[in-house]
Amino acid sequence: MQTNWRLFKVYLLAGTFTFSGGMAMLPVIERELCQKSQLISKDDLYEYTTLAQTFPGVIALTNACFVGKKINGTSGMLVAGLGAILPAFVLMSAATMLYQQLPQTGVILSVLTGIRAASAGLLFSAAYTLARYNLRDFWSIFLALACFGLTLFNLLSAPTLIIIAAVVGLLVNWSQRKEFH
Amino acid sequence: MLAIIVAFLKIGFLGFGGGYAMLSLIFAEAERFGLTVQQFADLNALDGIIPGPIAINSATYVGQLSGGLGTALAATLAVCVPSLIIVPLYTHFETKLNDHWQVPAMLNGIKAAAVGLIMAIAALLLLTLVFQVTDITRWSGKSADWLSLLIILFVAIADLRWQINPLLLILMAGLLGGLSYYL
Repeated sequence: MQTNWRLFKVYLLAGTFTFSGGMAMLPVIERELCQKSQLISKDDLYEYTTLAQTFPGVIALTNACFVGKKINGTSGMLVAGLGAILPAFVLMSAATMLYQQLPQTGVILSVLTGIRAASAGLLFSAAYTLARYNLRDFWSIFLALACFGLTLFNLLSAPTLIIIAAVVGLLVNWSQRKEFH
Repeated sequence: MLAIIVAFLKIGFLGFGGGYAMLSLIFAEAERFGLTVQQFADLNALDGIIPGPIAINSATYVGQLSGGLGTALAATLAVCVPSLIIVPLYTHFETKLNDHWQVPAMLNGIKAAAVGLIMAIAALLLLTLVFQVTDITRWSGKSADWLSLLIILFVAIADLRWQINPLLLILMAGLLGGLSYYL
C-alpha cells in the first residue's frame, strides 16, 4: 500500500512538471525511484524505456506501467499509469474548457492567430529534429518524402501510410540481411 | 461518443514512435471529429503549454471539444488501452522482443514515415494560416498573412537554433498577434 502511494506520488509529480512530451519525465523518475527510494535499478528503468518505444501506444504511459508492474504487480501498474496521465488529463480539460469560452473575435482572434503561427513553426522544428535522428539512408529519406507528398496532396491517409511504411521497413531490412549472408 | 472511442483506440494501436506520430493520426481523423485546421493548430500550441504526454493531451482536447468532459475521459482512456494490454502480456511471456530483427525494422520504416507526415502537416498548417487555403491544389497565391509567415519562420529557427523555450515562443507570438490588432 505504501509502495503504491509512493509510486502514484512520484508519477503524479513527474507528470505535472513535464512539458511537451512524456519523455522529459525520465530524469524525475530516475531521481525519485532509482536514487531516493531505490525501488528499481537504473538499468531496468532504461530497459523499460527502450521497450516502451517499440510498442504502440503512449510511450510515457507504457513506461510507467512497466515500472509499476515490476515494483508492485498489477496494482503498481495501475497507480503508476494513473499518476502519469492524471495531471495531463486534469490540466488539459481545464485548459480546453477555458479555450472554449474564448470569444474568437477582435483582439483575441489576433492573439490566437499569432499563437497558431507559432504552433506551425514548432511543428516544422519538430519535423526537422525527427528527420535528423531518423533519416539515415536512402530508404528512410525516400519513405519520408513519399509520405510528405501523399499527405500534402491528400492521396493516402496517415494510418495507411504507417502500415505501408512498416512493411517497407521490414522488406528493406530483410533484403539487406540477405545481401550479408 | 462511440466513434471517438473507436478512433482513439485505433490511434493508440497504430501510434508507434511517440506523440508526433499520433498527432499525425489525429490530424488525419480531424475532419471526422469536426476539428478545424485552426483548432488543430491550437491543440499543438496547448500541447506546448500544458504538461503531459502529447497523446493524452490531444485525446482530452479532442474529446472535450466534440462532447464535453465525459467524451474527453472516454477518449483519454481509449488511447491508454494499448499500454494496459501490452505491459501485462509482455511481462507474462517475457519473450525477448528486441532479439527479433523485425520489430526495429518496422519501427525504422514508421519513424521515417512520421517525419514525412509531420512535415506535411506543418506545411498544410502554413498554407491554411498564411494563404487561407486548406487544399494545396486550390492555392491561388492571392492575399497572404505575412505576419503569420514571419512568426512561423522565426519560431522554427528560434526553437532549432537557439533552443528558446517553446512556452516563451508561444507567449511572444500571442503578444505580437495581439499588438498587430491595434496597428
